[in-house]
Amino acid sequence: MSEPTTPLTASGATASGAAASGAAASEITAPPAGPRPAGRRATRVGPSRRRAAYAAAGSPVLLALPFYVDRFWLQAGLLAMAAAIGAIGLTLLTGATGQLSLGHAFFLAVGAYGYCVLAGDGEGAGEPVGLGLPSWAAVVLAVLLAGVAGGVFSPIAGRLRGAYLGIATLALIFIGQHVLFNAHDLTGGYNGRAVPPLSLFGLTFDDSETVVAAVPFQAMEKLWYVGLLLLAGCALFARGVLRGRPGRAMNAIRDHRIAAGVMGVPVARHRAAVFVLSSMYAGLAGVLLALVFQQTVPEYFGFILSLEYLAMIVIGGLGSVTGAVVGAAFVTLLPQILTRYSEVLPLVSAPGTGGVSPGEVSRYLYGAAIVAVVLFLPGGLVRLAARRGPIEKDEAERP
Amino acid sequence: MTAPAPDVPPLRVRDLTVRFAGITALDGVSFTVEPGSVHAVIGPNGAGKSTTFNVLSGVYRATSGSVRLGDEELTGLPPHEIAARGVARTFQNIALSPYITVADNLMLGRHRLTRSGFLAAGLRLPSAAREEARHRERVREIAAFTGLEGHLDHPAGALPYGLQKLVELGRALCMEPRLLLLDEPVAGMTADERRRTASVIAGVRDGLGISIVLVEHDMGVVMRLADAVTVLDFGRRIADGPPDAVQRDPAVVRAYLGQEAAAS
Amino acid sequence: MTTFVELLLNGLSIGAVYALIALGFVIVFRATEVVNFAHASLLLAGGYVTAVLRDDIGFLAALVVGVAGAALLGALIEFLVIRRYRGRDHSVLAIVTIGVDIVLLAELTRRIGSNVYPMGDPWGDGVLTLGGVSVPHTRVAAFVTAGLIIAAFLLAFRLTSWGVATRAVAEHPETAALMGIRLGRVSLSAWAVAGGLATVAALFLTVFPTPGLERGTSLAALKAFPAAILGGLDSTTGALVGGLVIGVTQSLATGYQSDLTFLGRGIGDLAPYLVMLLVLLVRPAGLFGTRELARV
Repeated sequence: MSEPTTPLTASGATASGAAASGAAASEITAPPAGPRPAGRRATRVGPSRRRAAYAAAGSPVLLALPFYVDRFWLQAGLLAMAAAIGAIGLTLLTGATGQLSLGHAFFLAVGAYGYCVLAGDGEGAGEPVGLGLPSWAAVVLAVLLAGVAGGVFSPIAGRLRGAYLGIATLALIFIGQHVLFNAHDLTGGYNGRAVPPLSLFGLTFDDSETVVAAVPFQAMEKLWYVGLLLLAGCALFARGVLRGRPGRAMNAIRDHRIAAGVMGVPVARHRAAVFVLSSMYAGLAGVLLALVFQQTVPEYFGFILSLEYLAMIVIGGLGSVTGAVVGAAFVTLLPQILTRYSEVLPLVSAPGTGGVSPGEVSRYLYGAAIVAVVLFLPGGLVRLAARRGPIEKDEAERP
Repeated sequence: MTAPAPDVPPLRVRDLTVRFAGITALDGVSFTVEPGSVHAVIGPNGAGKSTTFNVLSGVYRATSGSVRLGDEELTGLPPHEIAARGVARTFQNIALSPYITVADNLMLGRHRLTRSGFLAAGLRLPSAAREEARHRERVREIAAFTGLEGHLDHPAGALPYGLQKLVELGRALCMEPRLLLLDEPVAGMTADERRRTASVIAGVRDGLGISIVLVEHDMGVVMRLADAVTVLDFGRRIADGPPDAVQRDPAVVRAYLGQEAAAS
Repeated sequence: MTTFVELLLNGLSIGAVYALIALGFVIVFRATEVVNFAHASLLLAGGYVTAVLRDDIGFLAALVVGVAGAALLGALIEFLVIRRYRGRDHSVLAIVTIGVDIVLLAELTRRIGSNVYPMGDPWGDGVLTLGGVSVPHTRVAAFVTAGLIIAAFLLAFRLTSWGVATRAVAEHPETAALMGIRLGRVSLSAWAVAGGLATVAALFLTVFPTPGLERGTSLAALKAFPAAILGGLDSTTGALVGGLVIGVTQSLATGYQSDLTFLGRGIGDLAPYLVMLLVLLVRPAGLFGTRELARV
């Protein structure tokens, strides 16, 4: 209040302001009356410090895992990391901005196949086209390509809202499937195409062995660190966006799009921009998935995959970066765990034996989890953890 | 009426007509808001007050007529373009983000005054951090001015109704507007909250010199604050002038104040 | 020319079936403002019940049980799930129906497996030939049945108290509730009707020339989504026009596929979505959708 240059603090205004604030002070000491929607969420105690403590405790474990865990679990973990990157992108769009998308699988495919086309050498008869770019450049360009694909959709992504956009994005799935199955030269058709390994600073992330501390490092071990790095970068970037000016505009569009426009947010342009950003996250997730699978097949990038990503962000907690990561881990690891332990688990039988397969069981579980989480646990699994402790500030619970 | 700030132009509404689906919500309405004045728009329910606001802020499109702020034509511009010309508004029904803190709700008002995009925010560039800190400081001042500084860290939805309406007002002020549109700013408030809000509005008029257009049912507040009053009934202007003259206008007494008098 | 007329008639017939699905979708949307992503699996459920029962109790009885079963399932979803969320954000509700869809789809695809269930309908593979133009009996039956059902519904919407209540709720739920309309009943009946309509549609999606009900039938049902949004989500007229547009487009694109080989195989299945995107580019609210007036 001490700056005399600002008109608000000038002359008569100060008196009424002070009077008002005095009255306000007396009012806040009493808790807000009645069952207000977010009353109990008002307390927060240094979430960032707690988070930093978790990170400090968790990161050595994550870094050491490749030395102790076998390939199966490393691959499962990497799939979860890739899914987490894609889910963060979707939660920016659906959770923070309130724009439903069923087309996420399409952008994953753009990233995965884009990388293959850009990095593949394309040699040999019958091989699909490859531009032979250095693999790191192919990663960057594949992500940009996914962004461009999202941008091409922006006339629709900017103008349709909520569930309407959800239906419109169905088209992307079918366009994607059509192109993947038909454009043999680019995609290899039904059988897909092999994924060229990533190669950075002379280190190739394939199954050629590199021995580190008496542990043989193959593709999964090496990729593990790439995955960790990418995920950390993506999560931090998304959190920065959510906490900053763009994030506030996104939340405003979700909560009250007319007010957002009146406050000066160009709603359509902003929606389109978030759609592009979300597509780029999906593109990067697609690249990482391709590197882990080492073969891309068109069938994978279908309708069900898009549903899985929606399941991830809802189960973890809409609009929350941590929630997206938790949800991605849940939805990705569940079938893997069920497969691994199908003999000992009741009601689950190994794939192909005629009973209920692990994939199906996990689909029942996460389908039901979506319904249950929205019904009983608005805010998702993240909120469950937060209920016992402080509340995270920027993680709103509904689209 | 206080001396207007130098860059505040007059608002001229001319022959504004709005029709939807066969209903004429506004029928050739004209009025002028002098720079630095508080101009009240009153009338019974359904008179077209909210429609007027929605046209002024770009939410609705006018069927014909014009709205000019100084030399600039506002009709036909989308809401964010109108906001960019220094027009801010509050909403009759609260339009805040309930799960976001009051501080961040207020920061939304700074949107048009700030520049950080996705890259700067995502990468936490120093420029973005500096901009953020600078504007948070200003938001704190405005919060203090509106009596919200004790609530900055609370989710907006957790505040009592009257305070939420103040957050609406604070958010509009955070846009540093030249023209402020207040849609029933004291509706639903307790007598105490009403008095406080009125004093904040008076403070804005006296301290900032910006123009204010006020839609309000509370005649006490209108008569106390307004420099000029336009009365609407069934989408038409039935009176226009200084408050005491309007109050005595027989057409107004018949259409509006008469009802009020009979009711109270 | 004959080919064109045949394709057009086929398209109109399949379009009428899409219109049935889209109509159920729009009825649910108008009654509850929920975009029901579980609609396709509701259709698959009704079709599955019909297909499984027809050997034991005969086609007609199986169809009746199928319609009733899907109506019951729809009502159950409304009662057990959707009702608990009333007043919540509609995008969240749409996501909840996605959760329901995942569960139903997982269960049904598991049961169906790689089987193909013939419907055992009375029309078989008969073909009607008139002036050189031949159309399968099933297509004629589909067009007539769908047309009758749709006409009945449009009349019911205008004339019965149920229709008036549903329309009132769509206009303004709070006011309708104050006028004594029971929102729960309107919503429940909308879901049941949607299930029943979807089952009739399932029948006509799986009869000749299609071999029968299979896993992929729900993907065919998904084409009713573009039909509904193309017409405008809140418009029954839109659902009809949207259904017919989608049906004709698909039929023509499939029929002239050999002339469109540069677009790749299976362009007929993609065409409805491309048409939807084109329409949305020009009219974001669909052909007959109302651009809702913001109330602030």
